[in-house]
Amino acid sequence: MPDIEPFSPRGMFHDGWSAEVDDYAIVCGWALGGKLFIVGDVLGGLYGFEGETGKLIWKKDETHSGGLLAMSIHPNGEIFATSGQDGIVRILNCNDGEEIKAIKLGKGWVEHLSWSNGGLYLAIAFSKKVYVFNQEGNEEWVSEEHPSTVSAISWSNKNELATACYGRVTFFDVANKKTNQKLEWQGSLVSMQLSPDGDIVACGSQDNSVHFWRRSTGLDAEMTGYPGKPSHLSFDDTGMLLATSGSERITVWSFSGNGPEGTMPGELSHHTEPISSLAFSNKGLLVASGSRDGSVVASFLKNDGNGDPVGSAFAGDLVGDIAWRPDDCALAAVNAKGIVTVWNFKVRTSSSSKGFK
Amino acid sequence: MSINEKVPVTILTGFLGSGKTTLLNRILSEEHGKRIAVIENEYGEVGIDQGLVINADEEVFEMSNGCICCTVRGDLIRVLGNLMKRRDKFDYVLVETTGLADPGPVAQTFFMDEEISSEFTLDGIVTLVDAAHIDQQLGRSDESSEQVAFADVLVLNKTDLVSDDALDNLESRLRDMNRMTRIIRAEKAEVPIDTVLNLSAFDLDQILKRRPTFLEPEYPFEWSGVYEVEPGKYELKLEEGPDPEMSLVAFANQGFSEEELKEGAEASVRLYAEKAKKLEPGNTIPYDEHVSLKLQNKGSKSFILDVEKASKVGLFTQHNAEEFNMKVLKIDSQNNVKEIPFKTERNWFAEHEHDDEVGSIAIERFGDVNPEKLNTWMGRLLSEKGVDIFRTKGFISYSGNPRRIVFQGVHMLFTAQPDKEWGNEPRRNQLVFIGRNLDEKEMQEGFDKCLI
Repeated sequence: MPDIEPFSPRGMFHDGWSAEVDDYAIVCGWALGGKLFIVGDVLGGLYGFEGETGKLIWKKDETHSGGLLAMSIHPNGEIFATSGQDGIVRILNCNDGEEIKAIKLGKGWVEHLSWSNGGLYLAIAFSKKVYVFNQEGNEEWVSEEHPSTVSAISWSNKNELATACYGRVTFFDVANKKTNQKLEWQGSLVSMQLSPDGDIVACGSQDNSVHFWRRSTGLDAEMTGYPGKPSHLSFDDTGMLLATSGSERITVWSFSGNGPEGTMPGELSHHTEPISSLAFSNKGLLVASGSRDGSVVASFLKNDGNGDPVGSAFAGDLVGDIAWRPDDCALAAVNAKGIVTVWNFKVRTSSSSKGFK
Repeated sequence: MSINEKVPVTILTGFLGSGKTTLLNRILSEEHGKRIAVIENEYGEVGIDQGLVINADEEVFEMSNGCICCTVRGDLIRVLGNLMKRRDKFDYVLVETTGLADPGPVAQTFFMDEEISSEFTLDGIVTLVDAAHIDQQLGRSDESSEQVAFADVLVLNKTDLVSDDALDNLESRLRDMNRMTRIIRAEKAEVPIDTVLNLSAFDLDQILKRRPTFLEPEYPFEWSGVYEVEPGKYELKLEEGPDPEMSLVAFANQGFSEEELKEGAEASVRLYAEKAKKLEPGNTIPYDEHVSLKLQNKGSKSFILDVEKASKVGLFTQHNAEEFNMKVLKIDSQNNVKEIPFKTERNWFAEHEHDDEVGSIAIERFGDVNPEKLNTWMGRLLSEKGVDIFRTKGFISYSGNPRRIVFQGVHMLFTAQPDKEWGNEPRRNQLVFIGRNLDEKEMQEGFDKCLI
């Protein structure tokens, strides 16, 4: 068919391995430089699979009574942290899943965890407060009570932590224990992503909009018209593109030039049901999306945010989480039935593409 | 996902001390084979015995657009969003709110948040009322009247602490405020579980199956009787009763069927709106006219009914006939007295003074409505008064549509869908609005303009 142009670069999902965990898999991530793949299920089961083969290396049951809520893998890939409805944060060893430290915060849910960029700190959102612990599991700092339960946390640099809650994003200098900035806006912020340089703050709001702030200029903008609340946001590694979704459609805003204000966003419509997970590759303009319908699609984007699918697969059920391997040569998805699927992601390019081999 | 697969949610509201925790414990301890998850906003009073209980602080999130129907409960979105991921899905979720909670945002969360509404369905709102204290509470706080207004079921609890008379008064006060609700009396929150779970209160099909007319309009009269009479002179005899006077409308040709009685009632409502002509005992009662019988004299009093040709005489009386031991008597030329019993009677839901700001308005009309006019009227009504209208339910007959249209709403949120076919049933419309400071006359006139 000579009149159909092949996608450039051409790429696709190739069979890798699959495995099954006991319950609804809600979190996953790569550790030990891609040699290990960790999955957590809703009941608190944790699983370490060999990254290349899918062989189960270790398994821990019911690590959080009441259920698991969050996981964050340390940037060095050697340790990871989990939290749950039991009000406990556990720091564990990636090699064997053994617990190094348990941090008991009290009665309540611990919904968000995030290791700082350099790995010095672990930020923990516990109800209306945010705690920061060091790698050894000792408390470094705790915030005042926020106006509502903290809905998202993110590090803007090695010392600065951003928190989102109803009506506000706050930046804290954790090392010097002070508040750097408050960005206020009346709305329930359900998600937050910072650009890699920490300048752009993007928040999805319950009222079906995405709100941006540029910290350097103080300018902000509201992008409305989403069919559902934009729970899923992802920046590419350069901070040029922000993929957002609150429905079956992915809207990509481009920050190149004077955008995204006044520009048309890129639209990706490859799924039949709402997006349930969304992640840019570690390098380059590849975005992977998983949907409630079980489909997983990788799309290669252009600078304006538009793009084409370069591979797709069916994961079997609602995609709970997706994760690119650190080298972007494999993509993993975990689903609501506990199925773990890893595809080798092979990209063949006619011309060399910046960012991935 | 079909509606059957969604997990039903009951919201339990009521002031502190009304017995919510007692009821929760009863529900959880009963052998019903259901796996119930409880989301609890109010804790510390009495512990919950068993079951999965999640504590969460109430977080009411208003949106920047200022629209009250967009206000949702962030705590519920978070907790339910997590609950729905469990493989051992719950059969049921109970949400216990604090005594100060506004039920609006709680209910709206199930309409407004797509993620929540795709997995959960609001089954009903149950409000517990402390029979001994609700009178004061209603006077003091808006929350308390809103909880009554939103309720699909009102459990009148602690009835053992209050006299029967006081309970009757309380029940009629509560019914004035919310005419859609079902009132259940209880001591120590002992109510059958199926009166509070699986209500399908937001599923209008279900409600209408159980109660074909879930509302009774109010009338200025309590009773009507139809008498089959030959030509001649009749006496309407009344004994001493509760009132020194009584309003009445008589029709010379009143049918027996429910539809004819309703038509008679509608005609009477119009006549009752006119000033009553006062009649002394011994006077003749005119037809098709609002009269007031003077009854202050001791002993029995009689009024005359003249019947020119054989007919069915209908009487629509302000009070129940029994209260005055009212009888229609035929007296022949030999002065023989013969009682003519009524062929049919019907009680009507009587209107009375509404003291509370929160109340119900019911509109019932036979005939078809023009869909466009109705949409315009309803859209305008909800945009202007949506803040004050808590709940809306009803069914409508669209001209040209073979099926009944059922609708319901919370504040400005509103859904309508086709229901069963009308068949041979007479076309009619029923609407109930529960809200604060609603103008009944204006709303009725507005609706009447939508009729064809």
